[in-house]
Amino acid sequence: MIKYAFLITITLLSFSGCRSDYDISEVAPADFLESGENQEHVHEGTDEEATAERDNHGQTGDENSIDEHVEASHAGHNHAAGARNHGTQWFFNQPWAAPFIWGKLFRDSAIFLGLAVAIFFFSSRKRRQK
Amino acid sequence: MKAVFTFSLMTLRMLFRRRTLWGILLIILLALAGIASVPSFDVSNQGRFILDFGLFGIEVGALLLALGLAATLYPRDRETKTLMPLVAVPLARWQYLLGRFLGAALVQAAALLVTCLGLMLILLFHKLPIPGDLLPATLLIIVEGWFLLSTVFFFSFFTSPPLNWPLTTMLFMVSQMGVAEFVGLLPSAPGLMRALRMLLPHADVFHIKDPIAHGFDVEPVYFLVAIFYGLCYSAFMLSLALAVFRRRDLK
Repeated sequence: MIKYAFLITITLLSFSGCRSDYDISEVAPADFLESGENQEHVHEGTDEEATAERDNHGQTGDENSIDEHVEASHAGHNHAAGARNHGTQWFFNQPWAAPFIWGKLFRDSAIFLGLAVAIFFFSSRKRRQK
Repeated sequence: MKAVFTFSLMTLRMLFRRRTLWGILLIILLALAGIASVPSFDVSNQGRFILDFGLFGIEVGALLLALGLAATLYPRDRETKTLMPLVAVPLARWQYLLGRFLGAALVQAAALLVTCLGLMLILLFHKLPIPGDLLPATLLIIVEGWFLLSTVFFFSFFTSPPLNWPLTTMLFMVSQMGVAEFVGLLPSAPGLMRALRMLLPHADVFHIKDPIAHGFDVEPVYFLVAIFYGLCYSAFMLSLALAVFRRRDLK
């Protein structure tokens, strides 16, 4: 088993780009990640108005005013159906929504298949030698 | 290959006769019914809730079925001395493993399709629409189940069934983790943890319950990529299992 583990490790490390695993958020192109960031802060009205609004609520300071602020700030903009918006990064950072990693998945699959074939033949050869 | 198919049909018939299969199937269906009976309190997204948790229940069911069907196959064959005459003449060891795997895989797939039908009936009972991607989503869970089945076979060749359960469950849980979460288990050795994570499967590839529950379309090519990934990883686990099995002294 140690020999097989060694063989697997060497084979995988010999592939460039297979030396470490990846998260979707790490390998995603900038436009994929930024598509949500830009929309997240698109409000109707100017920044000055928003700042003034925040200051007003800060002076009153009660819970109701904070709720009103959240409603007001979210009511000021819309998101297209199916687009990234507040706190949905986890939803879109999944393999089904990230076509740029499908090639990597296919590559990993091919490597595992190759390893399976190699182990199949290698283990049978060892047995015959005995 | 004819010997493999004949042996897999024998395995299939044997597993259908066991009460374990029917017990696990009953538990999954009762769990699905339980999920559906949680009151919605007039929240408009009850269908989303049933779909999301229902598919999660089917996924956990795949784990239970893999363990219940396969954890005792090899140990029982060895204990009852039916293994030695089988591998002595009619079957090579790889044929024994592949026959047992194919038989258990067919039974597991049939059981998971029954649970999918159960979920559809529950949705219909609640007058909720059945999403078109529900069957493909179940197909991905079936492929994940086959990966778990091959893992159970791998562990069964060098551990006892009581140890096989926690080991497979642990691998199931670890395979759900992202790279960052996995590296977080041992932050002092990120390179090692990333290399280890690379060898572990990405179970999130099989999860499309979120887009289904929220009405998103999944591209058909993704299903092909995910199924190919699952089958290749299962083949890898089976080859490791075979390597261990070939070195086992059966006396």
